[in-house]
Amino acid sequence: MTEAVCENSEVTVLLVDDNPQNLKVLYETLKDKGYRLLIANEGEKALDLAHRHQPEVILLDIMMPEMDGYEVCQRLKADPQTADCAVVFLSALDDLQAKVRGFNLGGADYISKPFQSQEVIARVKTHARVIRLERELQARNRELQGDQARILNSISEGIYGLDENGVIEFANPAAGQIAGVPVDELIGRNFFDTHFATASDTPAGLPVQMTCRQGQVEGQRDIRMLRMDGSGFPAEYRATPKLDDDELHGAVVVFRDITAELESERELQEARELVQEQRDQIAHTSRLTTMGEMAAGFAHEVNQPLTAITNYARVAKRMMGKESPDLSLLQETLDKIEAQSHRASEIIRRIRRFMKKPATGKEVLSVPALLEDTRQFAEVDMRNNEGGIEVTVDENLPEVLADPIQVQQVALNLIRNALEATRSADSWVPVEVTARLAGNSCVRVEVRDHGVGLPEDAEEKLFHPFYTTKDEGMGIGLATCRSLIQAQGGEIGFERPDDGGARFFFTLPVAGAEGEPCKASKSAQEH
Amino acid sequence: MTDIQQTVYVVEDDEAVRDSLELLLKSDGKPVKTYESANAFLKDYSDKMAGCIVLDIRMPGMDGMELQKKLNEKHSILPIIFVTGHGDVPMAVDAMKEGAVDFIQKPYREEALLEKIEAALEQDLEQRKTLDEKQEIIRRINSLTPREHEIMDRMIAGQANKVIAIELEISQRTVEIHRSRVMHKMGTHSLAHLVRMVLSVKDLID
Repeated sequence: MTEAVCENSEVTVLLVDDNPQNLKVLYETLKDKGYRLLIANEGEKALDLAHRHQPEVILLDIMMPEMDGYEVCQRLKADPQTADCAVVFLSALDDLQAKVRGFNLGGADYISKPFQSQEVIARVKTHARVIRLERELQARNRELQGDQARILNSISEGIYGLDENGVIEFANPAAGQIAGVPVDELIGRNFFDTHFATASDTPAGLPVQMTCRQGQVEGQRDIRMLRMDGSGFPAEYRATPKLDDDELHGAVVVFRDITAELESERELQEARELVQEQRDQIAHTSRLTTMGEMAAGFAHEVNQPLTAITNYARVAKRMMGKESPDLSLLQETLDKIEAQSHRASEIIRRIRRFMKKPATGKEVLSVPALLEDTRQFAEVDMRNNEGGIEVTVDENLPEVLADPIQVQQVALNLIRNALEATRSADSWVPVEVTARLAGNSCVRVEVRDHGVGLPEDAEEKLFHPFYTTKDEGMGIGLATCRSLIQAQGGEIGFERPDDGGARFFFTLPVAGAEGEPCKASKSAQEH
Repeated sequence: MTDIQQTVYVVEDDEAVRDSLELLLKSDGKPVKTYESANAFLKDYSDKMAGCIVLDIRMPGMDGMELQKKLNEKHSILPIIFVTGHGDVPMAVDAMKEGAVDFIQKPYREEALLEKIEAALEQDLEQRKTLDEKQEIIRRINSLTPREHEIMDRMIAGQANKVIAIELEISQRTVEIHRSRVMHKMGTHSLAHLVRMVLSVKDLID
């Protein structure tokens, strides 16, 4: 009489009665209703079946020999495996006291004998559904808790749950790993004492305190935390208050060891600095190369004042050799000598400044002054019979923020290229250098020549290293120019004017301009 | 023979160099005239000029080499001293091939420059003397009648009086008369001297 009767049913119902007749009636009533039916004719058997099958509903007779229904119910509720079963008492005892006792023992319902089969079916159905849902809910809850635990366990950041005094109530495995001890050794310890050397001296100033005490969200990067063994590590943390209906219950701290992160940041920084250094180096080499190419021009340029000085000095000597020297004429000659030595030192100063290494860094610059200086520079190198260089600058051009030497290097490079292109074309049209405001906060400098123009594949290659259209060029110039202008936050590029020649341009951000004013709109023209 | 005033013509674009050189040469007692460009000099140039040119090889506009070519086209005999920079030696060599007398590198010592100027002026004087002589010869040649000129050409070619008489279908006596007139007009008694004189101005006549 303990057989499972209906194998496939989802819901299990246990029928318990010492009276075989009653059992039969109940069985008949509930069979074919889709339940798996179990039957027991005494308390012990009922408990055993219930423990093994965990039925949703138990129809339990109260009046039984050996063990009565109350005791069975009590023991069912005491067993965690069966505690959630819905116990529906069956008894002829239709008095209030009996019912109350049954409910007190954890009974879910009560059916009076003689029972109506409709009532039995309805009540079993109801309770079966309730238990079913409850069990599903519990299973779901367990699942969620499992997920949560898995998430907390697998997350690489350390997580602490702290009470308002900073005592660790919860720690995930990563927290233990970072602290260097098993998680259970962390529980109950004080977060501040554990992780901060200065906890005893200045507890109020410690990270996370504000969150524990006042419920403020807070976080810091690169602070020093201690491991259990006393060694330190750089950490980043974020603390959020644990609130329960606006009541503060401590804090949740998410933290991690950022040693490796800082290391890679440092490496990245180093790599950036190396790139910068190499760019400066290349720029410097390129300036030296330019100076080398211009050496004859400079020698000539310096020799002019030196020649004049020598001549004047000799004239002065002659004057002094006379019996009554004309002192005012002598004074005039000496003044001329002085002026010429200033002229020579100015040329040398300009060369030295241009050759300086590394470049001086960004400063606020006047573009017209810089272009004029560059023009004088470039003219040193001009051959005879050239149209020269014409500089036209818009009035009220704002100052720019850039490295003066590197900008001059670019301008000089473009102007010298333009002169060379002009020369190659046997043209006498001057190289036009212009500067104007482009947009609101960007100065655009253009160098236009009427020379031989640019080869067809220039778009792809012109600014690439080692590409050159010149017989003696190395192909470094324009590539360097591009990297220099980009370092100023500007753009560089070229255009082919309709009437021939070439127009190179570069842009520089106006001093004090926000963001990257020279990007975007102009970039389409850059190749 | 000549008392033309020799002048040092300075062609130099750099104002300070030009001014200082002018003062220097003047303090040395030399007449100086300065020009700030090759064009300015060319405009002023005449074959009456005597002396020498101190010419900067590197100038904007027309450079020194070009001015030299233009002056050569004008049969100028003014000696040129080129003033060059450090890297201009190849240019200076070309200039020498074109007939420049010398070059000097900036910055120069005064003595060196004055020495070169002296030498150039000397050369100018020599050339001018020779030129005067030649011009005298040409003047004399021009004073010959066509017939006398014809006879002289045959004399220089080495033809005997008899041959000249037959070829020109005149009497030998007539040839002799013409011949003595040629010798007289040319101011010589020796045929060898006549030949030398005529050959020396050959390039000027043609």
